[in-house]
Amino acid sequence: MNDMSKDKNIDIQIYNFAYLDENTKRMIRRALLKALCIPGYQVPFSSREMPMPYGWGTGGIQVTSACLIPKDVLKVIDQGADDTTNAVSIRKFFQKTANVAVTEKTSDASLIQTRHRIPETKLKEQQILVYQVPIPEPLRFLEPRETETRKMHALSEYGLMFVKLYEDIAKHGHIETAYAYPVKTNGNYVTDPSPIPKFDNPKMNNNPAIQLFGAGREQRIYAIPPYTNVKSLDFEDYPFEAMKANFKCSICGSSDSYLDEIIVSDDGKRSYICSDTDYCKEQTQLNSKEEDQ
Amino acid sequence: MENNYHFSEESINSSISFRSLVNATSYPGRHFQITKLKKPNILSNAAATILITLCDNESNVYLSKDFSTEEVKDWLIFNTGAIVSDKQNADFAVGDWESLLPLDEFKTGVPEYPERSATLIIEESNYKKIKCNINGPGIKDKLQIELPNPELFINNSHLYPLGLDFYFTNDLDILSIPRSTKISVTNSEY
Repeated sequence: MNDMSKDKNIDIQIYNFAYLDENTKRMIRRALLKALCIPGYQVPFSSREMPMPYGWGTGGIQVTSACLIPKDVLKVIDQGADDTTNAVSIRKFFQKTANVAVTEKTSDASLIQTRHRIPETKLKEQQILVYQVPIPEPLRFLEPRETETRKMHALSEYGLMFVKLYEDIAKHGHIETAYAYPVKTNGNYVTDPSPIPKFDNPKMNNNPAIQLFGAGREQRIYAIPPYTNVKSLDFEDYPFEAMKANFKCSICGSSDSYLDEIIVSDDGKRSYICSDTDYCKEQTQLNSKEEDQ
Repeated sequence: MENNYHFSEESINSSISFRSLVNATSYPGRHFQITKLKKPNILSNAAATILITLCDNESNVYLSKDFSTEEVKDWLIFNTGAIVSDKQNADFAVGDWESLLPLDEFKTGVPEYPERSATLIIEESNYKKIKCNINGPGIKDKLQIELPNPELFINNSHLYPLGLDFYFTNDLDILSIPRSTKISVTNSEY
């Protein structure tokens, strides 16, 4: 009976560190390293079923799981916010399965998993940004056959994508694509930046941090190493333009961060707030400090 | 939040080793450190770490002549289940520089699947070192490093997006030169 009471302290492994088993991690890790060696190329991997539905970040969570180390400080954002369901659940998941520290501060985090935003605060060397990706193939809506898109990438045959952007201009007078705006990585592969607003595209270029992309349902991993040339596709006479709503955040007053539109009254009055909650908090604190002085 | 789970040492160690590999691969030409492990004497800690972190029963590993010992094979197969293979089929190759030549027998991937290419782990030896400038993804501006036979690395980078990926290993130290790195020789006498 005495032995039973001691059991509490015995190594009972309920999960392997960061949930995934070692063999799965090896497979993902090989894919990740090849992805870093071939920037923008989508490496197929045998994606696992995760304890959450597809579309909730099963790809991102597998990449995070393969990269996480015990002394990591993890931040998870969903559309820039730390406090939305998806972000909270994934953060809790890794607290439980990897016992890592968590933070909401971009500058304190060593690994950031994100859905659809790049933080406003500049990233640093050796920080890892993991993107959750729904459709990793930028050509998929133009050409549904994987065999064909694979050939198109192999031949750098991206005419179809330019025709799509051109048709936008012919129809609307400007390029309509406002999110998941295609980029060319290291002068070679056209890459889907995941559904981030095109406002965030310039942040991918020459970023000191490591950018990793995981698409669980589509079983693809790709990467943009640090200091890599990432160019948003455009035309000489219709150059790429990063866009945002032309307002100020109604909480912190920032005019240079990406804004969400919210409806604040029954008669449809609108207001704009920062989509990056950590940045907004920081700006608010800075403002109140200035007022105190 | 606290929990009482204990994670196995193997799992923790592999995650820390892999993180060093991610950093080395992301920042080519810079030195990164890994930790010691139990391994055959002839293998460096860094080379052994790469093998044990990445290989499983789907990995073909080529061991060049000095490294192709019973001890290394037993250690590799026992710990990873990897397949000891020839040069042509190798996913990973370990050896000193001279013994891995010629490089053109290793697979460099195919245009549709450029990742189906070999990763070469080059153990420190007395090869002739030539000063080179490198730039490309992962390198801020440029770096200066020393490489053996830079012309072979230049040829390899011309195959991009196909090509071989290299790790130089020396005891606990690891440095990567992926296919995306562009190399130019600084020394004019060469």
